[in-house]
Amino acid sequence: MNVLAPAIVVRGLGVRYNLTLTRRTTLKSTLARFGRRSAAPGARHFWALKDLDLEVQHGETIGLIGPNGAGKSTLLLAIAGILEPSTGSILVDGKVSTLLTLGAGFDADLTGRDNIRLAGAFLGIEGKELEALTPGILDFADIGDFIDAPVKTYSIGMKARLGFSIATAITPDILLLDEVLGTGDQEFRAKSQLRIRELMTQAKAIVMVTHDLAYVTEFCNRAVLLEQGRLVHDGAPEETVALYRERVTKKKLLAAGTSGRFEGAAAP
Amino acid sequence: MKTSPREAVPAGPATARRRPLGALREGIRDIASRRRLIRYLVAADLKRTHTDTLVGRAWWILDPLIQMAIYWILFTLIFERQIPDFALFLFAAILPWKWMASTLGDASTSISSRVALVRQVQFPKLVLPAASVGAGITGFAFGLLALALFLVPYHERISPWLLALPLIAAVQAVFIFALAIGVSALNAFYRDVGNILGHTLRLWFYLSPGLYSLDALGPGPVRTILSLNPMASILDSYRRIIWGTEQVAHGVAPDFAALGIVLGVSLVLLALAIMGFKRVEPAFARIL
Repeated sequence: MNVLAPAIVVRGLGVRYNLTLTRRTTLKSTLARFGRRSAAPGARHFWALKDLDLEVQHGETIGLIGPNGAGKSTLLLAIAGILEPSTGSILVDGKVSTLLTLGAGFDADLTGRDNIRLAGAFLGIEGKELEALTPGILDFADIGDFIDAPVKTYSIGMKARLGFSIATAITPDILLLDEVLGTGDQEFRAKSQLRIRELMTQAKAIVMVTHDLAYVTEFCNRAVLLEQGRLVHDGAPEETVALYRERVTKKKLLAAGTSGRFEGAAAP
Repeated sequence: MKTSPREAVPAGPATARRRPLGALREGIRDIASRRRLIRYLVAADLKRTHTDTLVGRAWWILDPLIQMAIYWILFTLIFERQIPDFALFLFAAILPWKWMASTLGDASTSISSRVALVRQVQFPKLVLPAASVGAGITGFAFGLLALALFLVPYHERISPWLLALPLIAAVQAVFIFALAIGVSALNAFYRDVGNILGHTLRLWFYLSPGLYSLDALGPGPVRTILSLNPMASILDSYRRIIWGTEQVAHGVAPDFAALGIVLGVSLVLLALAIMGFKRVEPAFARIL
């Protein structure tokens, strides 16, 4: 690979959800749909992302901001390879790690130690590599003898700590973060912030989703504003954050105007 | 939509999906490269099942015995069926049937019950039904212990053909694997599959020679149709090596030709199941 190649290249990315095949789908609704297939094709699709272009260079830390449902998390999932693009392409140079995975693979009936093995295997870390990492994971999670008790006996905080420790055990080339900065109690939060900063210095590129705009201006060297699945702005953090704040304020005013609470303000 | 249509350029793993043979190769690679993960999942399953019950893993052995006892009571006391060593006759078929039924039940929820995992971690989803199959094989192995105990009072029926059991089990394992992959993917899309599965398996069992033998039916179109069922050949083979036939009161050779056909059909089904699974795999994260 060329050293100068970007860490992540996203071209014309579109991610479409099929609303007819959600988790509550039953055979009946599908059969019903076959019956009137010609009627309004494509009406039951939802584009979570549409025509998105993004390049992330090595060494960059990108903040993704935008209102809920803008497609920020979808973009992270697509970069991680979990969601397949419906259109466009994504090229990633290096090993990707998401910190989305806090405790996702946990089996409540197994002990913490068994869960480290299982979660590691799901993430593709096995055998000697995992054995070498385990002491560090135990040390960081700091849950003492509970490690040999079933995870169902853990408190939410303990579970989060173990999940965080596993997820951050390997140093990825490309780090994807989705609002994981507020995990556990005060002490662990400080510790996890430190660990994330450590990972950030080691990773070649970072993409993070956060609603903490101060965090974006402090840590990111670029920020991208998404709205309704589209890229609205891509630029310096201060600039993007300012634009986002402006748009949020404008929307609030508009909403207030149409709701009729400030009748005079909305007058032409 | 205002946007101009773009050429879909699939990234990375999606490329092979377009070509069936590539998908097959990739599916086999998924399973081979994640052997350890599958093993951990099987171990997790074994640790979990029955740990909160009084007699624990003895249920692996008790379950088929109790089921057999129920059928035995029904058929000897109520229907007055006159088959020698009827308990062994039943057990030889119930044990492998239970293997298939419980594996398919497990497999049907193997993907749909792991929403968080599928939506947040990138891993080959084929390992999930594969783990169900692995756990099922272990359960069947425990069941063989029950069979060994059971054969003690019927020791005069034991013959060297009993050693052909792993061969029949191997054919059945391929068949089960193909179906397990299918139901795991289908149930991720349609939760009805779980409901339909129970009824389908029950009907299928009654249409398979579990409680009766096909020989008892006599020649005719019904028998011909029923013998097209792969499970008919499999159950019949188990019964022949364990119990024998109506004429011979000890284990005899299985029908190798029929088993060969079932193996061929199962391998084709397995290849198709892997190809189909790889095709729909990217959708799981979106629909769960």
